[in-house]
Amino acid sequence: MRGILASELLKIRGKMVWFLVVLGPVGVILLQAVNFGLRYDYLTDQYADDLWGGLIGNVVTLALPTLLIGIAILASMAAGIEHQTNAWKQLLALPVSRSAVFAGKALLHVLLLFVSCTLMLIGTLALGFVLGFDAGAIPYGRLAELVYYPFLAALPLMVLQVWLSITMANQAVPLTVGIIGMIVGMFGSRFDDWVPYKWPHLINAAGEPLYSVACGIGLGVVLLLIGMLQFAGKDVK
Amino acid sequence: MMRMFRSEWMKLRRTVIWALAVISPLLAGVTGFLSAGDYENGQEGVWQIALGIMGLLHAMLFLPLLTGVFAALLCRFEHTGGGWKQLLALPVSRSSVYAVKFIYIMLLLAITQLLFLAALLATGLLLGFAEPIPWRMLLVSALGGWLACLPLAALQLAVSVAWSSFAAPLAVNVIFTIPNILIINSAQYGPYYPWAQPLLAMVPRDEMGFGAFNLSPETLLGVILVSFVVFLLGGWGYFIRKAV
Repeated sequence: MRGILASELLKIRGKMVWFLVVLGPVGVILLQAVNFGLRYDYLTDQYADDLWGGLIGNVVTLALPTLLIGIAILASMAAGIEHQTNAWKQLLALPVSRSAVFAGKALLHVLLLFVSCTLMLIGTLALGFVLGFDAGAIPYGRLAELVYYPFLAALPLMVLQVWLSITMANQAVPLTVGIIGMIVGMFGSRFDDWVPYKWPHLINAAGEPLYSVACGIGLGVVLLLIGMLQFAGKDVK
Repeated sequence: MMRMFRSEWMKLRRTVIWALAVISPLLAGVTGFLSAGDYENGQEGVWQIALGIMGLLHAMLFLPLLTGVFAALLCRFEHTGGGWKQLLALPVSRSSVYAVKFIYIMLLLAITQLLFLAALLATGLLLGFAEPIPWRMLLVSALGGWLACLPLAALQLAVSVAWSSFAAPLAVNVIFTIPNILIINSAQYGPYYPWAQPLLAMVPRDEMGFGAFNLSPETLLGVILVSFVVFLLGGWGYFIRKAV
């Protein structure tokens, strides 16, 4: 598995993938920097009791749609390498199991988004310092929750996009599914609890964010296993 | 030129591209229908409210992003398997190849806008809106949204021609479209941001007017025109010199 992941990492070099992994969080933080910079007095007045909470809330409203569409774009870029060069046959002719190839793509994807989410956390801290918020009052726990919980709750969506991008040669379909997912996901808090697009919002009837996270991890693993089985029996061009 | 239209048509027939044109209007229609509680039937301006709800969903993110998908799809057939060399080796000018592809993007967007209009009308008729249909407002909205896509289509065609990856041009599109979520709230900067124009053009300004919405149509048209000319000339100038 380590060999497969290493080869996946090698393949995405020079393909703008890392650039996007960095640009996502940097873009969100820069937009919030402009937002807070232009309306500093208004916003700091509005969040006077809880400056960090206000900042985190603002970051999350932009971070969620960015995460959802980022999932689709990165999955399509990683799978697109084989589609564009018609390399699926070649890749699968190597002495590696097909399910391991699928798991490798999925693992790479999760890793990329983990890096992206971590950068979001660092960026939020940095922006808070720049804005002169009290460094002693940083709610580390809440910050980590609001970055990593949605990431974990979105695991099923990651596996779905990886699976779609790998199975379909025409990347318009997985990307459009991703766009729909982003728009549906933005209004996701209104759905019933069972809809996976609601989970990254961490809202549920029980009022316990960890339930959403647990559902995400559970369904993510199930979808990964189904995807591995399906890919093992699939014809490739 | 007519023949080039037909050859492009052959490439597009029976592809997913047609299904893509339906999705956003369908989604907007369902949302509009489910928001029945938001419009009291006897109330004045009920069509305007429906247009506001559905237009926000359709034009804030979907319409600009869809423009990018259409552009990338139109170039996909050439990017796979060395199609650019084959196409440009034929006795056709590069400018007309570029023009035909651009016109097709706008054609697909026109179909999307008509379907959106149909979805809006269906919502109103199904819910039995008491007011007469305000044709003028609805047509201006659909047409305005379509015109506002001109600069976006020009830029997306340029990057789609440049990169063989399908996701890369779309990433450019997303990078510029996501700031919409913030920018439409700003009366100062929103009107000058090309990616916010489809929304500003589609949502009726007197009812739902907030932030960037209260601006004269002349200013909006100016922003659309200037950015369109810049993106189109840039993309076209690049394509006619490009080594394929």
